[in-house]
Amino acid sequence: MVDKPEVNLVGPALEEKNFRREWLRLAGTASAGAILFLLTGDTNQLYAQSKEGDLGILSAALYLEQEAVAAYQAGAESKLLPEGVLKVAVAFQSDHKYHRDGISGVLKSLGVEPRGPEKKYDFGRLHSDKDILRLARDRESGAVLAYGTLASNLLTKAVLNFGANVLVDEVRHRTILNSVLGIPNY
Amino acid sequence: MSKNNTTNPRPVSRRQALQAAGLSAALGVAALGKPAAAVVRYEGDLAILNVALGLEHQAIAAYDAGANSKLLNADQLKIAVSFQNDHKRHRDALIQFIKRFHGTPVAPKASYDFGTITSAADIVKLAQSLEDGAMNAYLANAGKLENREILNAAVPILEDEVRHNTVFKQLLGMDVTERLKY
Repeated sequence: MVDKPEVNLVGPALEEKNFRREWLRLAGTASAGAILFLLTGDTNQLYAQSKEGDLGILSAALYLEQEAVAAYQAGAESKLLPEGVLKVAVAFQSDHKYHRDGISGVLKSLGVEPRGPEKKYDFGRLHSDKDILRLARDRESGAVLAYGTLASNLLTKAVLNFGANVLVDEVRHRTILNSVLGIPNY
Repeated sequence: MSKNNTTNPRPVSRRQALQAAGLSAALGVAALGKPAAAVVRYEGDLAILNVALGLEHQAIAAYDAGANSKLLNADQLKIAVSFQNDHKRHRDALIQFIKRFHGTPVAPKASYDFGTITSAADIVKLAQSLEDGAMNAYLANAGKLENREILNAAVPILEDEVRHNTVFKQLLGMDVTERLKY
């Protein structure tokens, strides 16, 4: 359940920019298995790497996924989405839940209690289906950038394989949302 | 070859040495100062790159076949040309890497058999099938790449293949909400 979005014209963009910067910073400090990340559940490999870097990157990834889950939830609850679009949004949200649960599982296996979602997300104005689609599209675009950037830090192959699959999901989502919004995919 | 290639004939000042060390650290060039024979060829990576290059050649030829068929409408042709350009960019990047690591880039085949093409839908199906194959190939091999630089170059290529595949799946009315099994 997400609180009703507040009107905020500049907040979300700035927030996203800051988050990306933070993400990139974390990605830059991530160690090899940092990224065992998204889940292989292979804690031996995780522990073999810098735990601090791993935790940073995992937490950042978790934040991103939780935010995406909340964004789709806000969209679904707005009742602004036509049935066909809602179906797609629910499917995409399910993908993000899958990513979120995977990351949470790795954190737990490291003895770290995963942080829950924020109590409230400020997604700005959501007055139309386009507002929601743009919000989702921006989140997906940020995710593509984040996961794509992570590849440069991946040393653990199992993690890389998982991360690559997550990236495939994010690109697929962005492509569909672009298409619905009339943003060229070519 | 001069023997001076393996020994530096000139004395190196402390400042020069520090500058070189700084540059090396900054660029992450671990192999600085090693003889040329120590260049790593990344045989496994080269094999993967050449398989990928073969797929890029095939995709370029398929888009050529599609464009030359005159079966595509203006919008479809625009997509095909754009995607073919992506594949040409991939091809050139792959060739560059293969040469840099002292491999021999595989050449395109003299001809490709794309089956019977009698409609725009045939072309879109062909393209979707090739893009899907390419996506899965990059996905399956990403974790096998040893060289980080090559991996970094492969990531945006994978992103392109997913985008292409998704666009065609949409055009064909295929399910775009299905997540791959992983």
